Amino acid sequence: MRQFRSMIYPYIVWLAVMVVVPMLMILLYAFTKEGNDVASIKFSLENFTRFFHDAVFIDVLKRSLIIAVATTVLCVILGYPIAYAIATHSERGRMFWILMITLPTWINMLVRTYAWVGILQDDGLFNRILGLFGIEPIKLMYTTFAVVLGMVYNFIPFMILQIHTSLAKMDKSLIDAAGDLGANRFQTFWRITFPLSLPGVLSGITLVFLPAVSSFFIPKLLGGGQYVLIGNVIETQFITSGDWNFGSAISLIMAIIIILSMYLTRKVDTDPTANGRGE
Amino acid sequence: MKKFMAMFLASTLLLAGCGNESGENAVTSADAVEKYGSDTLKLYNWGEYMGENLISDFEKQFGVKVNVEYFDSNEAMYTKLQSGEAYDVLVPSDYMIERLKAENMLQPLDHALLPNMSNLVKGIQSLPYDEGNQYSVPYFWGSVGIVYNHNNVDPDVVEEQGYEILRNTDYKGKIYIYDSERDSFMMALKALGYSMNTEDEKEIQQAYEWLLDMNNTMEPVYVTDEVIDGMITGTKDIAVVYSGDATNILAENPDMSFWMPEEGTNLWSDAMVIPANAPNAKLAHEFINYVLTDEASMGNSEYVGYASSNQAVLDELSNGIFAENEAYLPRMDYEKDEVFVDNQTLKKKLAELWIKVKATK
Repeated sequence: MRQFRSMIYPYIVWLAVMVVVPMLMILLYAFTKEGNDVASIKFSLENFTRFFHDAVFIDVLKRSLIIAVATTVLCVILGYPIAYAIATHSERGRMFWILMITLPTWINMLVRTYAWVGILQDDGLFNRILGLFGIEPIKLMYTTFAVVLGMVYNFIPFMILQIHTSLAKMDKSLIDAAGDLGANRFQTFWRITFPLSLPGVLSGITLVFLPAVSSFFIPKLLGGGQYVLIGNVIETQFITSGDWNFGSAISLIMAIIIILSMYLTRKVDTDPTANGRGE
Repeated sequence: MKKFMAMFLASTLLLAGCGNESGENAVTSADAVEKYGSDTLKLYNWGEYMGENLISDFEKQFGVKVNVEYFDSNEAMYTKLQSGEAYDVLVPSDYMIERLKAENMLQPLDHALLPNMSNLVKGIQSLPYDEGNQYSVPYFWGSVGIVYNHNNVDPDVVEEQGYEILRNTDYKGKIYIYDSERDSFMMALKALGYSMNTEDEKEIQQAYEWLLDMNNTMEPVYVTDEVIDGMITGTKDIAVVYSGDATNILAENPDMSFWMPEEGTNLWSDAMVIPANAPNAKLAHEFINYVLTDEASMGNSEYVGYASSNQAVLDELSNGIFAENEAYLPRMDYEKDEVFVDNQTLKKKLAELWIKVKATK
């Protein structure tokens, strides 16, 4: 094994250049002001006070977190039964269904989200079908419903795959054992299957919550420009107003929130009393 | 109709092209390398902003290869340039050209290589952002106005209220607003009777409140290019749009009309420039000169619907296929119309105010 150790160095360099350096630059930008040149540095906390002293930004932050949490919860509720159903299939059946779940992700996310615009808009597919039955069109585009739908649609494969993986590698004899000991199917699920699948649920939550909280093009496309989430505020700072310092500060605030939430999820994961075993 | 005309035009151009080629030997990339030093042109333009055959015809005629990339805002383009990307030709707007010029990011044009500049519309030459067209050659130009559905909105009301109609609650839930701080503040400042380049804190504050009021009472939808499809299908009744987009909307949906508010509007132009770090400035000149030819300008303006910078083409189209289309020919020499002036601090401020307007629920 030892002789292979030197093979990790390229990855260390890669990580340093592609991950660590950009993070440090965000940190530097966040605590400085004015200009995109590193040459003229002025340290300041102004970017942070500007964010926290503005009720509008706090509202945007709250709204983003609510949308992300709603998306994550819906992904668990919808994704778990799907993953469970897939896991009950034979090896080949599972391969097929997993392929079906991942197939849409082969297409670019932007394109898939645009497709929803065509379905949801006032004279789109959905309302035309309603029209066939003489039902008045419903306003779907540019609503919270459309944004959450777009997010759940885009991110649910991550949830299903994670849960499925932990369900699939579960030792099936435990279920037989529970049956032998007189547990009914619900008890078996609640006391054996669900706790054992929790690691998958938790990593699924991380994988869905992270992109959901920072997404900017899904709200932009399906929610319209009036649907401002924190990702859109960051985008505006970098692209439109060119205020990289403020943009970095907001990114950093988001990063801290995300790290905190990941830490909390990890804690739930390792804490046996919170595992729903209820002994 | 538009598609048909474009195809017709393409076929005539193709015929003309064939005529040329039979007369002399086809130009090869080796010729191009000899003449320009390279056979590749890197073009950075707006999306949906070129005639269907502009690039392929240019490639054929000069034996070169054109790599095109697209941007959707001047700011996105600027950010990309700042990251060190090098292009031969860019097509930014007036205020951005002013900024690029001030930051020494452009190279002066060699007018000897651009004989077709004599085709340019007089009124858009030597504008304040680039006196004497030392750095830029106009590509398209236009204004911003109100497109409305004349079946649902009384033209008299539009003409009487101008931008104020966007705060008329009779049309609540029926409006599109263009999602950019520049255009929305232009509208608000003009509605209040101020200059759109104002730096006066009080005037900006009033414009902010105007927009906030509009946001809170009208249930507007903020979009960019989606406005074109939205108005063609008649999803909303009123929208503030760029004149060229309005041309397309009016051509596709006969229920729509266009009005240029009497309070004044933004008179803009997008122009071709050569960045200071362009790898192939010689070929870039050739391309700019080519765009100014009658054939290329006709293909562009006809297909995209924006007003041509070529006088002959402008005359022909505004009396020809766009004669009934009130959005095609922009208003000229109206004292309340203004051109944007580059002002970074103001822009940052407006950008922040605008996101606050949108985020207010």
